Amino acid sequence: MESAVSGPPSVGSGTVNTQVRVMVADDHPMWRDAVARDLAEAGYDVVATAGDGEEAVRRGKAARPQVVVLDMQMPKLSGAEVTARLVAADPDVKVLVLSASGEQQDVLQAVKAGAIGYLVKSASREELLAAVERIAVGDPVFTPGLAGLVLGEFRKLALVPPGSGAGAADDTPRLTDRETEVLRLVAKGLSYKQIADRLVLSHRTVQNHVQNTLNKLQLHNRVELVRYAIAQGLDEDSE
Amino acid sequence: MTGPGDPTSQDPQAALITQLAQTSAIAQPDPRTRPSPVCAQPVSPPPAPPPPQRSAVDTALWRALGFFRSLALLYAIARFAVSSSHYAHRGAAIAVLFTMAVWTAWTGIVYHRTTTPRRALLSFLAADFAVGAGAVLSTDLVDTQARIQAGALTLPTVWSSAPVIAVAIALGWRGGVAAAALMGVADLVERGALSQDSVHNIVLMGLTGAAIGYVTELGRTAELTLVRAQRLEAATRERQRLARDIHDGVLQVLALVQRRGAEIGGAGRDLGRMAGEQELALRSLVHSWHEVEDGAGGDPVDLDLSALLGRLAGPRVTLSGPGAPVTLPGPVAREVAAAAAAALDNVRRHGGAGADGLGARAWILVEDEGDTVVVTVRDDGPGIPEGRLEEARSAGRLGVAHSIQGRLRDVGGRVDVVSVPGQGTEVEMRVPRLPVPRGAAPSVSALRKALR
Repeated sequence: MESAVSGPPSVGSGTVNTQVRVMVADDHPMWRDAVARDLAEAGYDVVATAGDGEEAVRRGKAARPQVVVLDMQMPKLSGAEVTARLVAADPDVKVLVLSASGEQQDVLQAVKAGAIGYLVKSASREELLAAVERIAVGDPVFTPGLAGLVLGEFRKLALVPPGSGAGAADDTPRLTDRETEVLRLVAKGLSYKQIADRLVLSHRTVQNHVQNTLNKLQLHNRVELVRYAIAQGLDEDSE
Repeated sequence: MTGPGDPTSQDPQAALITQLAQTSAIAQPDPRTRPSPVCAQPVSPPPAPPPPQRSAVDTALWRALGFFRSLALLYAIARFAVSSSHYAHRGAAIAVLFTMAVWTAWTGIVYHRTTTPRRALLSFLAADFAVGAGAVLSTDLVDTQARIQAGALTLPTVWSSAPVIAVAIALGWRGGVAAAALMGVADLVERGALSQDSVHNIVLMGLTGAAIGYVTELGRTAELTLVRAQRLEAATRERQRLARDIHDGVLQVLALVQRRGAEIGGAGRDLGRMAGEQELALRSLVHSWHEVEDGAGGDPVDLDLSALLGRLAGPRVTLSGPGAPVTLPGPVAREVAAAAAAALDNVRRHGGAGADGLGARAWILVEDEGDTVVVTVRDDGPGIPEGRLEEARSAGRLGVAHSIQGRLRDVGGRVDVVSVPGQGTEVEMRVPRLPVPRGAAPSVSALRKALR
């Protein structure tokens, strides 16, 4: 039974390995090993583990995991920075942020940088496995906490007075009323199914709304970064 | 069921114990990882050095006085050298000056000491004063009466004001004035008459004693305040470091034990539950440290509602909100937090068994809409059947809802209760954020932000 799950994939024989490749990055060895063991037992291929931010980036680039379970607080590089570099190296990588409560700003930064899931560290093993399973197929894992953060971020963007940056007001992302409604329900702990029931929508539509909010935020972040880079570049040229 | 002590059994309890035992290995250096965060940071220096035995202000003043004394001695010698031929007893005058020089050297040594017991200090001051007054009075013996009557300077000249300044530094402005008065008496005795000059000198000396005594007290108070502020800041920084370490290390391990324990079941479940309780207790302790710091910041005006609600969160209660602080005037924030706590109490009491049989779960959502702050408390209990709410309200049986409504009304807000069958109950509390009145002083935190 066990060997069927954790048997090494044959190398170079052309067989398709259907196991999802996962990397676990956490500076706490006990946590890291426990999460890695849980994932391996559930049939995932844990291709790498990392104990600090730099290691996570280095090993992530080398081992090419499809899913990264990432602790927010690690030495050397912040979780947001690690996310940004991993996503830059492989835009298809799915980053699930694990964090203790009280690191909300960091989580928000990581999500803006491209993480598509957030789970508190006190989540149970079943919750973690379910989250990784959904992340692996590209579905964002929107805990109530993450929904609250995203809602707050969009409200903050909406409050930025127009004209504070040249032309910045025009492309500021906004949530549609429906998206706001869905996010609020997620933040209040309703499941997608409950939301679908309440708003008389299909499960898939609810999921799409959630995904859209995340896409808008991440796109806006990329635009801002490019704008910043251009501004920096122009400054350098004029010197 | 096999006993936990049986090493060969596949008992999950034994597995947990092994796992816990393995954690001790973390403390040993491992090239792949940094050691566990609790011991990762170098031991920082103690928060504050012990208070100096003599304050910096005192040290500086005593050294300055020693310097003044030396200069005054040189001046006295120079004055004597210029008019030595007029003195009645030159040898005796030189002897007095020599005594003054020896005493100056001795006081210089004493002034450099960092600690002097109070009694020794008092007798030193008395001896100093006696030498100074003696030098003044000796003028009567070594100089001619004719010169003294004509208003000649005393032999020690300004050197005699040094004991007055010493008393002022040691005992404050009252001591300074008293010493000046006594030295004035010595002056008058020496002169034998009340002249305009001597009155002038006495008043000047009195002013000097008072001024130096007062400035010394002021400087000492300022220094004490500064030392206290530095100590508080150092303690705050140390607390923050500890909080970080506890957060990164101990809390994570406790959370893991809680999780593993629950999975193992049996005695492991108890272990896990205890670990969970300790994690919560430790977490709220760390939070309360932040609270203390907020208080020390001297900003009683605004409070972060998210932080207040954070204390209500736990294994069964999830808090969501914007990452940034949601500030409200202190009393308003407290009322809203108390209302949310009341709503949670209600969930615990009437929420039923919940989806997993461990009681209803609850979610708190904080939203900052700029001019309004919205706090929603939702549970996954059975909900309130349609019409039941109105019925209960009209029957006056909405005790908790009443208290929530009362609190919200007090701060100008309102409450909406929504219950969807099968989806629990939502208590939505909206509080207007009143505009800050014109001309109101900005809060300390606002100033701090602006300066940043």
